[in-house]
Amino acid sequence: MRQCLLCEQEFIPPIKFAQIFSLKNFRQPKICFHCLNQFEKLTGNRCSVCSKMMEQGIICSDCKKWQKIYQGEVLHNSALYRYNSAFHDLMVAYKRRGDYVLREVLQELSWDYLSKTEFDYYIPVPTSPGHQVKRQFDTISAVYGDIVSLTPLLAKKEGSHAQGEKNKEERLKTPQSFFIDKTIKIKENIQTGKVLLLDDIYTTGRTLYHARDCLKSRFPGMHIESFSICR
Amino acid sequence: MEDLTLLSGRQWIINQKDSSTLEDCSKVPVIENGLCNRCGSKVECKLPSGKLYCRACIGLGRANEGDILVRCQNASQFSKLPNGGMTWNGQLTTLQQKISDNLVLNFKQKKSSLVHAVTGAGKTEMLFQLIAECMKNGKRACIATPRIDVVNELFPRFEAAFAEIEIGKYHGREYQEPNLDQLTICTTHQLLKFYEAFDLLVIDEVDSFPYVGNDQLHFAAKNAVKKDGVRVYLTATPTEDLLEEVKQGKIEILKLNRRFHGGLLPVPREKLFIKPFLNKKGQIHANLLAEVKKVVKSEHPLLIFVPRIEQIPIYLAALKKKLKDNNVKIVGVHAQDSQRIEKVAAFRERKYDILLTTTILERGVTFKNVWVIIVAADDPIYTAASLVQIAGRVGRAKEDKTGLVLYCYHRYTKNIRSSIKQIKGMNK
Ligand SMILES: [Zn+2]
Ligand SMILES: [Zn+2]
Ligand SMILES: [Zn+2]
Repeated sequence: MRQCLLCEQEFIPPIKFAQIFSLKNFRQPKICFHCLNQFEKLTGNRCSVCSKMMEQGIICSDCKKWQKIYQGEVLHNSALYRYNSAFHDLMVAYKRRGDYVLREVLQELSWDYLSKTEFDYYIPVPTSPGHQVKRQFDTISAVYGDIVSLTPLLAKKEGSHAQGEKNKEERLKTPQSFFIDKTIKIKENIQTGKVLLLDDIYTTGRTLYHARDCLKSRFPGMHIESFSICR
Repeated sequence: MEDLTLLSGRQWIINQKDSSTLEDCSKVPVIENGLCNRCGSKVECKLPSGKLYCRACIGLGRANEGDILVRCQNASQFSKLPNGGMTWNGQLTTLQQKISDNLVLNFKQKKSSLVHAVTGAGKTEMLFQLIAECMKNGKRACIATPRIDVVNELFPRFEAAFAEIEIGKYHGREYQEPNLDQLTICTTHQLLKFYEAFDLLVIDEVDSFPYVGNDQLHFAAKNAVKKDGVRVYLTATPTEDLLEEVKQGKIEILKLNRRFHGGLLPVPREKLFIKPFLNKKGQIHANLLAEVKKVVKSEHPLLIFVPRIEQIPIYLAALKKKLKDNNVKIVGVHAQDSQRIEKVAAFRERKYDILLTTTILERGVTFKNVWVIIVAADDPIYTAASLVQIAGRVGRAKEDKTGLVLYCYHRYTKNIRSSIKQIKGMNK
């Protein structure tokens, strides 16, 4: 019996077939079946660029906009879940309330996918320093740091507002607020390395495109993709 | 946090770096010896710094190890209105009057009470004179209940009964600036924000979720009353811990076995089903459907209880399909439903004929003339107490004392038997 991190009910984790015959240590589930089911996987027809679920078509309207702005150089984003109300509640509890332990729920949702990816560098999208002081942790690194090894090459200027407080239009108009943290040691191969940018939610793409702009200005040869748990 | 008079009786957290001097306030570390001083919970989760933080009361702002809990304890002053600000002039029945008098007497003697009254006994009215007594002396009272729906239901009734008193209403779904109200009506969760604030604390529906068995809320309730304050518990099914306090002589039990209209509790009808309520094709059992149709025909609003949240959409679809020709409006609601309040209100206004739900609606909420069908009354999720509560929804109005409570079951359980025995016992 375990206690679900979200609803606090006791639950019996299902035993996977592979688990019985494997000698490896399996990660114990942190949430119950009912809570897990509240999170909706992205399925069906999806935007070939950013993974957004769509009725029809190949590229979503957001990506068409980026296509124009960046002359076709779109950012490929993988995402796993739809940003529904269950996810909203989870993110409010994790980010706004600062319930640090909930990073384990986000890890549970992204672990299988992320641990199988093969990039040279995993770069987390930074949160504003002010928020980080208040929360006493970095929301993105706290989730992904246990799954892959992070290179926190990006930093965020003080005083920039969180994207979550803005509407769609304001988000798109947000000015660049990232810069390269020169104190981070990097290897020679980063110039042409394969990089995965890590964020939690992809809403308009503004943040991730800014992060890519910032990296590209310093490392033009870098190959950059991105990952967000939600789209 | 400027005007401290408005915060009297409240407690809140400040950062240690926050060096503001707060007069008339006591200060304690919020996390002490692995326990949270705000909610009493054991604190186990850590931030990356290694500092503990309390998850249990995080909704009120995270309590971190090292933070300070400020408790504002300046004496609150209220005017002493001659009649306690009561504008209600209704009549109590002889039995209600007896309880009401006892409550007033116990309050004067600083004795706590447990009112064990059947559902529909008119508990709210029995509180009016007690509250008036408290107000009359310029003292402060709070009525807390575990459920938001009940807060929303009680507030207008007290507003009407105490037109001259400032009443505060607080629950998690509505932001309300903290105010110094002589009478506070709130959820039991809100009690976490108070410390030795009330001369009288009434807890309604003590036996219902999430208060029952919740140490955090019990801790909060204990902290919220003054050291010499009085507690009053209201319930239709007293819990073991309260009965234990009665036995130890800490609280006095007051019983009321009659509903205010003098009617009896409807004794549930039982119906045995052999085949499943829903077959593999998702079709509803013909006999169950027939029962539903009978209620619809009688023009009574119908509450249908199913054991689990996941079953609500399935039953909803099955019923909608079968009843679409009858022009019946059905809606489902569950605890995590963001539109819960709106749906319940719409059902009350008869915008829906049938409300499909789980046990969340078992207590405290009244619907005029409602009838009830419990699907799978043999499911372990229904305790005898919750079955009694559900049955208590029915026959509450003066002009409509009887009504249908139908248990649909496959297996006759101890809980079914015991609930019927309890109901018959209360009718004697
Ligand atoms: Zn759960
Ligand atoms: Zn797209
Ligand atoms: Zn706490």
